[in-house]
Amino acid sequence: MSQDIILKVNNIDVFHGTFQALWDVSLEVRRGEMLALIGANTAGKSTLLDTISGLLHPTKGTIEFEGKDITALPPHQIVELGITQIPEGRGIFPEMTVLDNLILGSYSRKARTKKEQNLKKVYGHFPILEKRKRQTTKTLSGGEQQMLVIGRGLMADPKLMLLDEMSLGLAPIVINELFKALKEIRETGITILFVEQNVRRTLQEAERAYILETGRVTLSGTAAQLREEEQVKKAYFGI
Amino acid sequence: MAGDIFSPIVMGILLGGLYALIAMGLSMVFGVMRLINLAHGDFVILGSYIAYALMTFLGMDPIISLVICMPAMFGIGFAVQKYLMGRAFAISAEAPLIIAFGIALVIQNTNQILWTPLSRGLTTQYSMASFHIGPLQFPFSYLLDFIAAVIVMLALREFLSRTYLGKAITAASQNKRAAHLMGINTNLVYGFAFAIAMLSAAIAGVFLGMTFPFTPLSGTQFLIIAFGVVIIGGLGSIFGTLIGGLILGIAQTLAGALLGPATQMLIVYIIVLVILAIRPQGLFGR
Amino acid sequence: MRSQISKLTTGWLAVAIVVILLILLPVLNAPREWMLYVFLFLLFLAMSNMWNLLAGYTGLISLCQPAFLGIAGYTVAIGTWVQIPWWAGLIGGAVLAGIFAILIAFPVFRLSGVYFAIGTLVVPEALRIVFYLWKPVGGELHGAGAGYMIKDIADLTMAHMYWMAFAVAIISAIVIRIILKSKLGLGLASIRDNERAAASCGVNTFWIKVYPFVIGAIITGVAGAIFYLYQGYIEPSATFNVRWTMTLLLATVIGGLRTEGGPIIGTIIYVFLYFLLARFAGISLLIQGIILVVIMLLSPQGIVGIARTTRFYRYLERLFSARLIKE
Repeated sequence: MSQDIILKVNNIDVFHGTFQALWDVSLEVRRGEMLALIGANTAGKSTLLDTISGLLHPTKGTIEFEGKDITALPPHQIVELGITQIPEGRGIFPEMTVLDNLILGSYSRKARTKKEQNLKKVYGHFPILEKRKRQTTKTLSGGEQQMLVIGRGLMADPKLMLLDEMSLGLAPIVINELFKALKEIRETGITILFVEQNVRRTLQEAERAYILETGRVTLSGTAAQLREEEQVKKAYFGI
Repeated sequence: MAGDIFSPIVMGILLGGLYALIAMGLSMVFGVMRLINLAHGDFVILGSYIAYALMTFLGMDPIISLVICMPAMFGIGFAVQKYLMGRAFAISAEAPLIIAFGIALVIQNTNQILWTPLSRGLTTQYSMASFHIGPLQFPFSYLLDFIAAVIVMLALREFLSRTYLGKAITAASQNKRAAHLMGINTNLVYGFAFAIAMLSAAIAGVFLGMTFPFTPLSGTQFLIIAFGVVIIGGLGSIFGTLIGGLILGIAQTLAGALLGPATQMLIVYIIVLVILAIRPQGLFGR
Repeated sequence: MRSQISKLTTGWLAVAIVVILLILLPVLNAPREWMLYVFLFLLFLAMSNMWNLLAGYTGLISLCQPAFLGIAGYTVAIGTWVQIPWWAGLIGGAVLAGIFAILIAFPVFRLSGVYFAIGTLVVPEALRIVFYLWKPVGGELHGAGAGYMIKDIADLTMAHMYWMAFAVAIISAIVIRIILKSKLGLGLASIRDNERAAASCGVNTFWIKVYPFVIGAIITGVAGAIFYLYQGYIEPSATFNVRWTMTLLLATVIGGLRTEGGPIIGTIIYVFLYFLLARFAGISLLIQGIILVVIMLLSPQGIVGIARTTRFYRYLERLFSARLIKE
């Protein structure tokens, strides 16, 4: 196991007020991989992403990014270091133009210098965004909005991208397109950690996965291993 | 007879510019952090008094005194947001309102102690001058108000649409969580938004002082006017703010001309209450 | 159990003694200033209780309480100019304040939170102008900026007014108790926490807010009218004045918003401050504003909030809540 670990989550507990959402969760992300986080609706997947992004802070445990402790950092410093979360559910700025949304993606100091270059990359992945760049964002279709938030995430020039429920409410054909784009993005050297509810699909796309249940990691392994796991078959495939 | 109506309408339009100028800061703070700054009127009057002090002690022209007045109010605004309002939001829904009310009283009474309750004005030669349209005469200060309002509006629009900070302010008002995730330090952005609102309050205060006499207690009156402008024009729309200002300005001058000057403000207050009753989201609000 | 009951009786006995002492104060030949302190305390307490009911328990920051006390005060004053006895004016004033509250409820209750505060702020400002312009009785020399004397109250002694103030204060405390223990109290709490959710659960959010608003207007009106009976004189600029709002806000916030004991403690301190700062009339409101901001930031639950963490308070609380357990 000489593989380079880009993100390491060590035994974290996270609370929403008095409700404990994560229990002793640990996780490793290897540089360049496509890793999935699977679980039911309230399993704590989004909480985990928010904690990595610095929106929430653990009461116990640590988070390391490229060997640096980022447990207590605020979100804007974490973005600066190269972690970007792509929010689920149309996390757009609805009244702004597509272009302004993208430009806001490059808000961090490091990303501003590469704005033009990254904008070209985004248009390369999602040509439709260039066509729509002067439109108000709320007029886009659901799939286009999802492309926009991914594109906006790319504008931050990230090393690690966290994707929350990308396929929520989208047509299969759009989902295919998005996964194709993700593969291309990953080939440019960006590590991807994504959260999904569609387990069958996820285990086709990801190389490895962690399964979260009611705030705890219950299983992890390569996608191939997990597909064969009895527990997974029973819980998620109904076999 | 036509002149009887024409003159107050022109006055109302020009006055509406001043009202829009006063309301801009209120609208911005509300749009970004969902706070009605109960102290906004008093901040505007604070701007008037700073210019008054500079004029009295240094003989500085009010418009030139903006060079000092604007950064001063910018700094005050940033500090108020960082040390008072920012913390108040974490306490409860009522806390920011109560604290703003407290700040309003502190400003009013500080002004009262420093400058006595007597009314003051920023009188200069040009603010006392007048201009003519046909046979009718209008105060030059009203024209200045309108020009200032248009300039500030265009500047604000350019700032919000062209700069990273301006875009970040807009973004934070539309989706705070997504703004966070873009690496926008929302606390800092709120600080700047409040500071810029206070900067516009400084400009409003200076032009108000050249147009009307003011006392330490004038703030409440202008808070209500600004609020009226914002609810008429709808929130977050710079253009709507101008329209709101014009409607309120014209209503006031027409009421003054037709019903007597004492009723002017009463009409404004009644319009505000009626709009609240029939369309609380504003005439142009979504 | 027995020890609990005996503790309980000690607690209520202490309260009873204080109450009786307060009632007897005028006949005990107490110094006049003492009576004045307690008199103002009782009036401010009644008004603060009502403000706490709105702001603390319903989340509505009402800035139009001066309108109610002004309307009731003016009703009494103008009434005495047209041969209506002061006590009839007092009742009429309470009724008018209540009706006025219902009328302005229509515009202001369409608004929530921040909007509500400014909506209510407009009302006393507008009334001030109205009473500047409107001189219903008395000709040119009276009314408007010059104000009205209240006539024919020579037979009304300080003791009478004191007892009236006492009655209003007690009624305000009882009203709060009843409301909080009733279904209405539950509805108010649900609105405060989440108005939209409350509405979707079938709570009629409009009327449920109107009740405390109107009750508050009536009691505030009566308390205000008693104040103006004592002052013997009413004029618009001091009546429809933000100072009144400041008084209620400060008394409630110092003591503790959303606590039953808060206004009592807060009003005691406020009256103390009121006389202490009277010498520094100029900076009095400045200091009050600073106190308001500082308390809100450092201890949003006021003195009661701080006291809650002490053992003595928990002891008191046990003392008075024991009865509820028994019931």
